[in-house]
Amino acid sequence: MRAQAGVGLAICVTACAGLLAGAQLPKSQSRLAPLVRFSRDIQPILAEKCFRCHGPDQKTRMAGLRLDTEYGAFAALASGGKVFAPGSPAHSKAYQRMVAPNAALRMPPPGSDLTVTSAQLKVVKQWIGQGAKWERHWSLITPVSPPVPAVKLKRWPVNPIDNFILARLEGERLAASPGAARETLLRRVSLDLTGIPPTLAEIDGFLADRIPGAFERVVDRLLASPRFGERMVWDWLEAARYSDTNGYQEDRTRPMWPWRDWAVKAINANMPFDQFTVEQIAGDLLPGATLDQRIATGFNRNHMLNGEGGRIPEESRVEYVMDRVDTTTTVWLGLTMGCARCHDHKYDPFTQRDYYQLYAYFNNVNETGSVDRNGSANPVVELPTAEQAARLADLRAKVEELSTTASGLKEGSPERSEAQKRFDAAKKEVESLNNSVTLAMVMEDRKEPRQAHILIRGTYEKPGDKVESGVPAALAPLPPGSPSNRLALAHWLTSPANSLTARVAVNRYWQMLFGTGLVLTTEDFGIQGEKPSHPDLLDWLATDFVRSKWDVKRLVKLIVTSATYRQSSVATAKMLELDPANRLLSRGPRYRLPAFMLRDQALAVAGLLVEKLGGPPVKPYQPEGVWEDFSYGKITYTQDHGESLYRRSLYTFWRRSVAPTGMFDASPRRVCSMRQTITNTPLQSLTLLNDITFVEAARVMAERVMKEAGWSPEERIGYGFQLAAGRRPRPDELRVLVEAFQRAKEQFGRDAGAVGQLLSVGEKPRDQKLSATDLAAYATVMSIILNLDEVLCKE
Amino acid sequence: MKFAANEMQHVELELTRRELLGRTGTGLGAAALAALLGDTAFAQQAPASLGQPGLRGLPHFAPKAKRVIYLTQSGAPSQVDLYDHKPHLQEFKGQDLPESVRMGQRLTTMTATQKLSIQPSRFKFAPHGKSGTYVSELLPHIGSIVDDICLVRSMHTESINHAPGMCLFLSGGEQPGRPSTGAWVSYGLGSLNQDLPAFVVMLSRDRHGTCGQLLFDYYWGSGFVPSKYQGVKFRAGGDPVLYLTNPPGISPQVRRGMLDDIAKLNRMKQAAVGDPEIGTRIAQYEMAYRMQTSVPELTDISKEPSAVLEMYGPDVHKPGSYARNCLMARRLAERGVRFTQLFHVGWDTHGNLMREITMQCEDTDRPSAALVKDLKQRGMLDDTLVVWAGEFGRTVYSQGVIDDPKAGRDHHPRCYSIWMAGGGVNPGTVYGETDDYSYNVSKDPVHIHDLQATVLHLLGVDHKRLTYRFQGRDYRLTDVSGEVVRGVLA
Repeated sequence: MRAQAGVGLAICVTACAGLLAGAQLPKSQSRLAPLVRFSRDIQPILAEKCFRCHGPDQKTRMAGLRLDTEYGAFAALASGGKVFAPGSPAHSKAYQRMVAPNAALRMPPPGSDLTVTSAQLKVVKQWIGQGAKWERHWSLITPVSPPVPAVKLKRWPVNPIDNFILARLEGERLAASPGAARETLLRRVSLDLTGIPPTLAEIDGFLADRIPGAFERVVDRLLASPRFGERMVWDWLEAARYSDTNGYQEDRTRPMWPWRDWAVKAINANMPFDQFTVEQIAGDLLPGATLDQRIATGFNRNHMLNGEGGRIPEESRVEYVMDRVDTTTTVWLGLTMGCARCHDHKYDPFTQRDYYQLYAYFNNVNETGSVDRNGSANPVVELPTAEQAARLADLRAKVEELSTTASGLKEGSPERSEAQKRFDAAKKEVESLNNSVTLAMVMEDRKEPRQAHILIRGTYEKPGDKVESGVPAALAPLPPGSPSNRLALAHWLTSPANSLTARVAVNRYWQMLFGTGLVLTTEDFGIQGEKPSHPDLLDWLATDFVRSKWDVKRLVKLIVTSATYRQSSVATAKMLELDPANRLLSRGPRYRLPAFMLRDQALAVAGLLVEKLGGPPVKPYQPEGVWEDFSYGKITYTQDHGESLYRRSLYTFWRRSVAPTGMFDASPRRVCSMRQTITNTPLQSLTLLNDITFVEAARVMAERVMKEAGWSPEERIGYGFQLAAGRRPRPDELRVLVEAFQRAKEQFGRDAGAVGQLLSVGEKPRDQKLSATDLAAYATVMSIILNLDEVLCKE
Repeated sequence: MKFAANEMQHVELELTRRELLGRTGTGLGAAALAALLGDTAFAQQAPASLGQPGLRGLPHFAPKAKRVIYLTQSGAPSQVDLYDHKPHLQEFKGQDLPESVRMGQRLTTMTATQKLSIQPSRFKFAPHGKSGTYVSELLPHIGSIVDDICLVRSMHTESINHAPGMCLFLSGGEQPGRPSTGAWVSYGLGSLNQDLPAFVVMLSRDRHGTCGQLLFDYYWGSGFVPSKYQGVKFRAGGDPVLYLTNPPGISPQVRRGMLDDIAKLNRMKQAAVGDPEIGTRIAQYEMAYRMQTSVPELTDISKEPSAVLEMYGPDVHKPGSYARNCLMARRLAERGVRFTQLFHVGWDTHGNLMREITMQCEDTDRPSAALVKDLKQRGMLDDTLVVWAGEFGRTVYSQGVIDDPKAGRDHHPRCYSIWMAGGGVNPGTVYGETDDYSYNVSKDPVHIHDLQATVLHLLGVDHKRLTYRFQGRDYRLTDVSGEVVRGVLA
């Protein structure tokens, strides 16, 4: 069995990337199935080995032959025979060229650095022999709700998700895992939905609640918490390349946080995903657009802005328009449209014209390409505070009044000139107040649309054919009579006929909860992306999501209340062998928390976290000189004090050129990013052990356990452990920690200076009533706890 | 339990499940699979002494260079005044650049509206060494090593602005988001040491800070390959590596005890839940601890002989200077750091060219040459590749009025000069030529992607076969072009 797996995988490795993606899938998937399926087995080979010259890009197409369309693949040839002749490898000219004994005739040609392996040739031959059935790429076919499969273990499924997962596991002769311990499950779901671990009262409450539906009630509580939006928005900010600065040379500050707050509010209000889409793509074009709807369109103004001296503004403007196309198509459609900037797409059925038709939608923004509005770029909306608004209204009334007064006075008279002076002063005050008002960038089109062109090789100064707005021909068409504006595009994105948006969206939520999407390549649903691990489940979720009127909270609840999500994440040796990456979900998810959550968790368990929704970004601790080093002293980091040190990481000021230092593995926020790899490096260990944030949290957490728990080290340490890990320590674990405490106490007992130093880390004053030596020793133990793998992970 | 037996392999290989998730396609899947399937045969092949393994099958062929040092001159040094000797340019002085030479080259908005008057270099050139290579009087020390370097006068690029230009030079694309050369190299070839990162970056600035090209961290970023391959910036002030120092009050003994306890508890956890990633975490905490010792040892230059310090010049005593960083580069190379990248800013001489370029050369000439000499005297130059280069060149025409001391030169992408030394490069040679105006390449052009292909080649890597799949495409450093420049190889 084992040896066989090795062989299967070896073929897979040398075979092709499409199959290799299956390397993480269990072995039976990688074994060559008796029935060859086009989209799974053949299309990846053609894409990888043939499309470069025989694919969608007509400029590089050789001999007029294309293998990316059904028509091209089965065309009859003038020389007799067909490209692929169903049932007959001998009459399939394409296949014959792949196996040609004469190296000069063999395809792919020498010099292409491509070879079709013998294993692949065998599969192609089998496919032809089996009738060469053609399939469109799966993600371009509108999903239909598949039947929910039957399972043997009927008592396991909680909802249909589980039928899909279990049916597959049963087919692989794997079992689902038992449910996770209640404490583990509570911590998992609390972190997933709010980014904050459960309090001890919440743990006790859940453990004590033996009435059916206890877990559902927990989920409802978490979904209703404003923390839900603060947690869920993080991934959206990364996708939207949100930042508090422009990037590039000057990297000036710009206030896009009103857009961030809009997104948090919309998620908390459970705004349906279709509306969430329409408002961000085209809120400004909605009839009677509200201020909020205009702020929402900031989504497509979150790109970088280049204010470099000597920069040609039009070059920048074109870059911004392209960024919008790339971001929008990646986030909603999971497509790599950016590949078609310079030429037709090499793998997916998109032409360069398709790209510039989408470009035309975003090309009419009333912008110049320069940084022309206080560090931001027009168009913007003015967002005065209530106080500023009132003052402005007063001033404007005054200006009006003075103007009337002045015009009623005789020209040249001293009265007139006095009134004029007062008028000027008031006007000046209006201006200066206006300058201090927050300006959020938004989408707003010009009256006169710009003519869009195909840009030759994607170069701004080389316009080719004119194009009008439109959607790619390979996707669902626009409804007839659609206007030529972003609103039409937004509605098209969320129309039920669109084969991608709902799939891409549910996959993104799945990724947020399980760490990996059903389609691993969250950002690429094209031919070179990975095939879904559970295609029917993906389609079931997507269609169900649309049927529910894009109800996000309902979708999230469905997923987290499934038996699949509730499984224990303990991996047995068998699972590690058969399902190493847990793509089959034979166990619950277990992986390191994102950096932002690690910080929030530490603040929360220390009792330091200050929860306040929204507002301008804050500047918590950061090692000295990071901004100054980068900017040669031009940009200084002025750290905040007090509450601002302890806000959620979501509100930490994000400088595009140097991200906050502790945020390892976060998206750099330059371009759209849908998936971060989770790495494990010594620099992270240094951060978690030595960063003021974490040391102060350990110190304050120590005070907390000394005050809130009993008197013995066992009680206090057990309490701290439970705060962070969400469960009581086992006796052997507790023994290690208590010994660590005794040892640290002894060491600190000999070194009062060290005690004082450690207890002065961070700005929160220490509680002088507590024994300093004990406090330092407990702080050490709390730091150990905050660095435990279990605490760093969701499990 | 079974996974306990496998734990060490995972630690050594440092291949994690999670990382696999990010690596669809590409040949490295083989190594990962082997690790996951407990393929001990493969695990034993991976040299246990290495901190971070490279990809299986790499290098593709025997490398000439084991490690690389980039001396990145940020802001675009003027080839006209440093390396590209044009004695006949005096004849054209003050004349407009002929349109037949310019051929529609786009200009930055800084000179788009002015006259393009030829400004010959006001510095003298002289032949140096046995090779007789002409170098400017601004570079006496580099002049003294011309027989050890290969001067390339025919570099060319596409960008006319710094950030896209630097990005193209380092990552192969003008837009941020691709892995930097050093990230590709550490991803592909892995680390040569266990106590330091594989890819280290150090920055220095011009003396008066008159002009600072900002250095963005994506210049040494990992783009879409996992972030552990990104360059680690060593800082001049504070901790050389962020968060390296224990918090105040935590002695090394206390820290050691903490780490032992964390490891003990993590091992218990691993026995209970079976996640091999925990083994990796234990190893990374240990590596963090080793870095706390190895980095201070690295940055302590008190044991360097005075004769060596003398070579680098008096600035070597200033932490964060280019001279100190050159010395550090040698110390990093000695300690097995695969890829070291220095950046020195201040070459953006739009104005005050005479004064500014003189200062730049005073700050960088001697240390650059000292590094090459120092590597050579230690026998390390043979397998260490040194690359001195900026992101583009400067215009032969004056920005501002000709002969005005306030005038300078604008950005120029069509030709510029760089040099390489050691690591399999043909010493004492000049490669490529430009036209009479130092405006266009006239012989043996070397595009950025060609340079990148050549650097990888010297490291034993076929640039077309070091790829990473991202958003459906197999990316490589050289994008879709790049030819190894055979003419510079020894």
